[in-house]
Amino acid sequence: MKKYLRLGLCGLLLFFGPIHAQENILNIYTWAGFLPEEIIRQFERETHIRVNHSTYVNNEVLYAKLKANPDSGYDIVVPSSYFIARMVKQGLVQKIDRSKLTHFNNVDPVFLNKEHDPSNDFSIPYLWSATGIAVNQSYYPVSSITGWKDLWHEKLKDQLLVLDDTREMFSMALITLGYSVNDTDPDHIKEAFSKLKALMNNIKLFNTEAQRSIYLDEDITIGMGWNGDIYRAGLENLNLHFIYPKEGFIILLDCLAIPKSAKHVENAHRFIDFVLRAEIAKQISLESGFSTPNSAALKLLPVTLQNNEILYPNKKTMERAKFQMDVGEAALRYEKYFELLKLEQ
Amino acid sequence: MNRISKISYLFAIYLFLYAPILVLIIYSFNDSSYSLVWQGFTFRWYENLLQNRELQIVAVHSLMVGVLAATGATAIGTLAAVCLYRYKFFGKKLLHALIFILIISPDIVTGISLLILFSTLKVPLGFWTLLLSHITFSIPFVTVTVYSRLTGHDKNLFEAAKDLGATEGTIFRKILIPLLWPAIIAGWLLSFTLSMDDVIISFFVTGPEFDVLPLKIFSMVRVGIKPEINALCSVMFGLTLVVVLIYQLVTWKKQS
Repeated sequence: MKKYLRLGLCGLLLFFGPIHAQENILNIYTWAGFLPEEIIRQFERETHIRVNHSTYVNNEVLYAKLKANPDSGYDIVVPSSYFIARMVKQGLVQKIDRSKLTHFNNVDPVFLNKEHDPSNDFSIPYLWSATGIAVNQSYYPVSSITGWKDLWHEKLKDQLLVLDDTREMFSMALITLGYSVNDTDPDHIKEAFSKLKALMNNIKLFNTEAQRSIYLDEDITIGMGWNGDIYRAGLENLNLHFIYPKEGFIILLDCLAIPKSAKHVENAHRFIDFVLRAEIAKQISLESGFSTPNSAALKLLPVTLQNNEILYPNKKTMERAKFQMDVGEAALRYEKYFELLKLEQ
Repeated sequence: MNRISKISYLFAIYLFLYAPILVLIIYSFNDSSYSLVWQGFTFRWYENLLQNRELQIVAVHSLMVGVLAATGATAIGTLAAVCLYRYKFFGKKLLHALIFILIISPDIVTGISLLILFSTLKVPLGFWTLLLSHITFSIPFVTVTVYSRLTGHDKNLFEAAKDLGATEGTIFRKILIPLLWPAIIAGWLLSFTLSMDDVIISFFVTGPEFDVLPLKIFSMVRVGIKPEINALCSVMFGLTLVVVLIYQLVTWKKQS
């Protein structure tokens, strides 16, 4: 009996030993599906830094994790742009030393120096996606849908899929009304709420997670969607189209950042510089299915992808892009109205 | 007539219980990345699973914590149940009640309080904090299971053993353990299951170096559950079946 116990203990030590023996590590926390395994392995081979990769489901979870335990130990996180602003304000992230990033110039200036981080001291653009309208051409003539306002048409009664996300929904309404997507004026938000209430008749489903398979299987054939998801679904269902609404659309930009409590800051910089390389950024974009803000990587992509209007819209379309910002206290007002809206169902 | 309705009632219950798992297994063979419509039969997802190191690592992590936590919780929980049943001491009623409170207290409360405890003690979050937490929340379930089995026995049994000269240790080893064996196994399995599918408490108490399967799967919801996950869950379901079969076989042999 004792012999077995001793054997078991030795086995345990062998198993856990390496975790503590090696100090040269990097702890990465990203959205699921954002960082392909091969990229991690390649980084490990090149730098001999051992990577621990965990994943989260949305910005709120990441924020909760960093906020709940100030000593959480993550070295790299990838929040969306509007969360960066909030985290900077609350001192949750630290300054990135740009002199250590030799490939920073690869980033397309379109995505730099935005309102959420005016001189990109705290965040480096990683991947982006856009919210637009998905249409199945065998159910609706594609030319009949050009902007958000078309979703309010009464012939679409009980047909739409909309995103189950407060800011996305209100941004759509605010854009349609001609206001800023980051509006904090209570009257404007209320106006947007009434606008959304008028849309309730047309809404069949609130959903964010399963939009890809819902559009692909034609359970719903028109509604809001993310460009990367619709592009992927479109590979298996050729009738799917993605439209960049003429009134404007939201760009979700996810950025690399280093939390204040990071213990391996040097390694974190090496990792950021690694994923900024054209070849690596290209692979990440291909694997994850999201668009890359790395212009050098874009040039390496297959020509069909580079010219794909869903993933990489032309300059003229991009002029209509709006970036989300933290709205501070107004976020609560948005939440309240969104709850009210869903109660209407 | 009575017989038919009995059988169909049973069938309905089992259908209700097993249909979701069956659907999952079927989809793990579906030849499409995102569609929920049947596109053809494939082993692709199982092949991908074999190459997906990240997923394998978190699965091993989960199994490891599950086995260790269940074992630890069973040992402590069983002792606690025996203690509560056999001995009289000050504050016994209170302790008994506290066990039940732990069972009904919401996971989120347990999770946050454990997190606060670990961060005030400056314990780095990771494997050990996760294991300790899992043992903690499993103990009451084991205690209750074992205790309820104990109450079904005659207390005079132990008195008789003592009369015949058995020490406390002998009573525990020769009488209590064999009597309680089914309850101990049930408690172990219960703790293992609890540990394997806990999301909320694990979210708070695990660190960057130790991710577990439920957290991984949960985080994949937004980008769509990959069929590899279906394959992984099917494999784990298969493993569970094997364990149950072995258990049945062993106990059946003993009886015959």
